[in-house]
Amino acid sequence: MLMALRTEYFILVVSAFVVFLAFIASYHMVRARKAGKVSWDTLVDRLVGVDRNSIATIAEDSEFTIDRTRIASMIGGMRGLEDLEANCEVLIDLACYVQRWYPEAVVVAEDLRLNARELKWHIARLRGSASAENLQVNFPDYAHRTITIYYEMTRSLLQLYERANYPGFMKLQRAI
Amino acid sequence: MYVRGLDAVLWAVGFCAHIVLLAVLVFRGRARRFPVFTALIGANVIRTIVLYCILRYGGKNAYFYAYWTLAILDVSLQLGIVHEMARHVFKPLGRWASDVRSRLLWLVSASLLVAASLTWLGTPQSTDWREAFVVQGGFFSATLMSQLFVGMIALSTIAGLPVKDHTARISQGLGVYSLVCILIEVIDTVLGSKTGPSIRLTLTHLRMGVYLCCVTFWTVMLWREEPKTRTLPDGARRQLSLLHLSTSYDLKRIKGRKC
Repeated sequence: MLMALRTEYFILVVSAFVVFLAFIASYHMVRARKAGKVSWDTLVDRLVGVDRNSIATIAEDSEFTIDRTRIASMIGGMRGLEDLEANCEVLIDLACYVQRWYPEAVVVAEDLRLNARELKWHIARLRGSASAENLQVNFPDYAHRTITIYYEMTRSLLQLYERANYPGFMKLQRAI
Repeated sequence: MYVRGLDAVLWAVGFCAHIVLLAVLVFRGRARRFPVFTALIGANVIRTIVLYCILRYGGKNAYFYAYWTLAILDVSLQLGIVHEMARHVFKPLGRWASDVRSRLLWLVSASLLVAASLTWLGTPQSTDWREAFVVQGGFFSATLMSQLFVGMIALSTIAGLPVKDHTARISQGLGVYSLVCILIEVIDTVLGSKTGPSIRLTLTHLRMGVYLCCVTFWTVMLWREEPKTRTLPDGARRQLSLLHLSTSYDLKRIKGRKC
């Protein structure tokens, strides 16, 4: 009796397991195929509008001359940083787009991936500060780092497109 | 003991299909990129010859031990292929891509745990320990492999790392074969020797048929060239290397900056 029950469980669990694996495999294969067919314009359109001048001003301020309390208003607070976080994914996708034809672009794509990881870590720390209610104190430092990393990412991507002589360089420059 | 009927046909076709695939791997230059996969196909050719000879001239015991020794080699090579595919996808610059290594370790640990749990849950309906060992061993390896291949496909999409055509096809073939093997092993575990040799033989034929389809799929896919890529001009390549160095330096500088 117990043996029969165990066998029934076994069949049920393994069937669910196989269906689950088949679903995961199909879902990700379809997703990868779709990602491979996304046009360059669609990718660029996914970029959220950000204040490029403020980003450049903050990122290039290595001497900390800007009033630190102004950083939040210049970038649009936590919401502005979240926009940069969302754009990171698009920047990586844009590097991968070039990689389809120029495999050597993998160097830039990998750098961007590493930078994005760093950027997300800083934003996660800020979210932690927000929940601990000391965002005001930590925001300028972490935001400065986040913005600098994002700025480096955009520079790397633009240089990649420029060196590869990709026709969309001008449009990309306007978008980021 | 002689091999007759459909068995003989499947053995002969499987042997020829492996020889053709091995020739494609060697003569189309794929063996350099996929040495472990090539070793698996080579080992399968040798296995077919060895098992045929033992079946023809040796006893039941000799066949059992030879089968299992070679099956362990087969599973080891399949694990080697998992590593080979992971290297192709997740080590684009010769080092593991950022934040992927820890996820891969999780994938391997979770897969081992799930495979062991499912194998424990299924109790083969067999009185012969050797038969039970064969069934449970086959089920464990199929469950483990299917999880690893499906997990790698999922991880590459999540990490946004592109999988090259040949690498994707090898992984897909092994993934599908492992999934079918799970189903076959489940039927074998549940029904066992109670149903007599006819169902078991049908399952073996089904497994051989599916594997033959995979070998044919790999032969066609590996014969074809991957989509053509372009090469950056030398100057651009040099500048990209400089850019890589400068980005690494900037990142270190940002990390080192005091908050």
